[in-house]
Amino acid sequence: MSRRRIVALFRRVVSEIRRDRPSLALLFIAPIVITGLVTFILRESQAPQVTAVVVNLAGPRGLAVGNALEAALRTDGATVSDVADEAAARAAIGDKAASVGIVLRPAAASGGSLDVTVITNGLDPSGDVGQVSAIQRSVLAAATAATGTAIPAVNHATVYGTPTDDPVTTFAPAIVAFFAYFFVYILTGVSFLRERTGGTLERLMATPVTRGEVVLGYTLGFGLFATIQVAVLLLWALGSLHVGALGPLPAFSIGLGIAASGSPILAFLVVVLLAVGAVSLGIFLSTFARTELQIIQFIPIVLAPQFLLSGVLFPVSSLPSILQPLVAIMPLNYAVDGLRQVFIRGADLGVPALQLDLAVLGIVAAFFATIAALTIRRDVV
Amino acid sequence: MALHAEPDLDGAGPPPAIRAHALVKSFGTLRAVDDVTFDLAPGRIYGLLGPNGSGKTTLIRLLTGLTVPTAGWAEVLGTRMPSRPNLGRIGYMTQTDGVYTALTVAENLRFFGAVYGVDGGEPVEHALGIVDLADRRSSIVGTLSGGQRRRLSLACALIHRPPVLFLDEPTVGVDPLLRVQFWAHFRALTDAGTTIVVSSHVMDEADRCDELLFVRSGTIIARGTGQEIRVQAGTADLEQAFLRLGGNVEVTR
Repeated sequence: MSRRRIVALFRRVVSEIRRDRPSLALLFIAPIVITGLVTFILRESQAPQVTAVVVNLAGPRGLAVGNALEAALRTDGATVSDVADEAAARAAIGDKAASVGIVLRPAAASGGSLDVTVITNGLDPSGDVGQVSAIQRSVLAAATAATGTAIPAVNHATVYGTPTDDPVTTFAPAIVAFFAYFFVYILTGVSFLRERTGGTLERLMATPVTRGEVVLGYTLGFGLFATIQVAVLLLWALGSLHVGALGPLPAFSIGLGIAASGSPILAFLVVVLLAVGAVSLGIFLSTFARTELQIIQFIPIVLAPQFLLSGVLFPVSSLPSILQPLVAIMPLNYAVDGLRQVFIRGADLGVPALQLDLAVLGIVAAFFATIAALTIRRDVV
Repeated sequence: MALHAEPDLDGAGPPPAIRAHALVKSFGTLRAVDDVTFDLAPGRIYGLLGPNGSGKTTLIRLLTGLTVPTAGWAEVLGTRMPSRPNLGRIGYMTQTDGVYTALTVAENLRFFGAVYGVDGGEPVEHALGIVDLADRRSSIVGTLSGGQRRRLSLACALIHRPPVLFLDEPTVGVDPLLRVQFWAHFRALTDAGTTIVVSSHVMDEADRCDELLFVRSGTIIARGTGQEIRVQAGTADLEQAFLRLGGNVEVTR
């Protein structure tokens, strides 16, 4: 290993990216726009607008319950009206005159109780869930009003962090890790493919440079930009800079202001290890690509499973057990977990879970660096 | 007809700069280089002539150690290839330009200089002077013409002043005036002791070489000076000579 050659490679990679404005935009602006958008959507989602039609098929008992329920729904801000039968309720929902139908029937079992059937549109499952839970809330409220006894409230406490209404808190670490991985992989893969197809790798291999030096030079070069990217993204995610009203501009704040209890330096370490692995992965996969399009084609094969199986979108604990062994081999999973350990739990280096995450990320980075070095020179005609 | 004429060594001359012994490179059933043996003396320009696909580039890649022979061996300056340290004494101008288009001319030269272990401005200025690109030193390579890129590619191969130089079709896309300058410089280099192997499929450059090696289907079908080969083939035209000698081998095989 020659320090001079590694430095030369590092400087070359940095000069190339520095001049590549679209890549810089991809690295720095895209993640900020997307995380900002995701945060905005998660925080500012509208409460479901409930327009209910009530069908009473249970006589006077149904009428009493129906009235109590309608009163509770109105208190909750819903618009309520009565219709004659279920067909009319379905027609109203179909015409978008109503968002939800409530059908009251005598229960099949004896005892004089009622069955409440909630009818929704069905085209928008997650919207439907919001409608159903709004009705459930009102049923509870109506029952409380009818019996005069408050139904006990369920309170939520957590071992790590505090239960929060901010849905971004758990989502942000996953997003930061995924972006670092995604962009570093794309940039390295394309950049190294150009090296292969442009003839510069052939020329480089005809110099005293070793394959290990090439991987190290690339890792340092792209690592630098990944480091800056992560620093900017963490500042953006965790910081909140309030800007006062200025002339016609109202007051606003820059940064997402996500609450985090751990050390940003440790979070940084987790992502940098992940990014180093992504550099080598990009070099390695460029072996199997002939065109830049093929680098993009690896995304559904290599990155999409990581996105689905690393707790970015779906909690790892809820994934089917048959997929759990796959979860265990996803590098991104360890970065997401590591960041959550740091952000939410406030973990330091003494926490075994974080130690495991860092160790696995380190091993993965070393493993891909080795196979990247081994596959750099492919014997072509 | 001696196909593999050996230079007159007789123990008195200097040791060969480049040696190939029974070199074979197979890709599946294709023998891209098929039993090639030669010694090349230092301080001379050797022309590797042959049609596209005849195995010239594969032969150069074997000599530089970029690919491993299926059989036989290659030696440069007394060291068996592939040898990574030995590559510091070899310059290789690839058929593709092999320069970084996002960097400037000077950045490319500084990069390859650093990789070869020569730093500082002097080697860069020297190489820029040879290829007449000094006034374009700050230009991004992507904005240069094809001929200018070719010149930069040559400069990158020369930056460390290697004693052995492999040039794979160096004058493609280079205008006639500059081509003359290139050859004058190649001659100056060999006068100073550099050994140059130039591949080409254009015959009009062949007479500038000290010796020619005709390559066909991975074998050396003739070797000698331009004049010797014309006499051997009984024609005044090298192109005709190549066709005749090539045909001859086909018949006698």
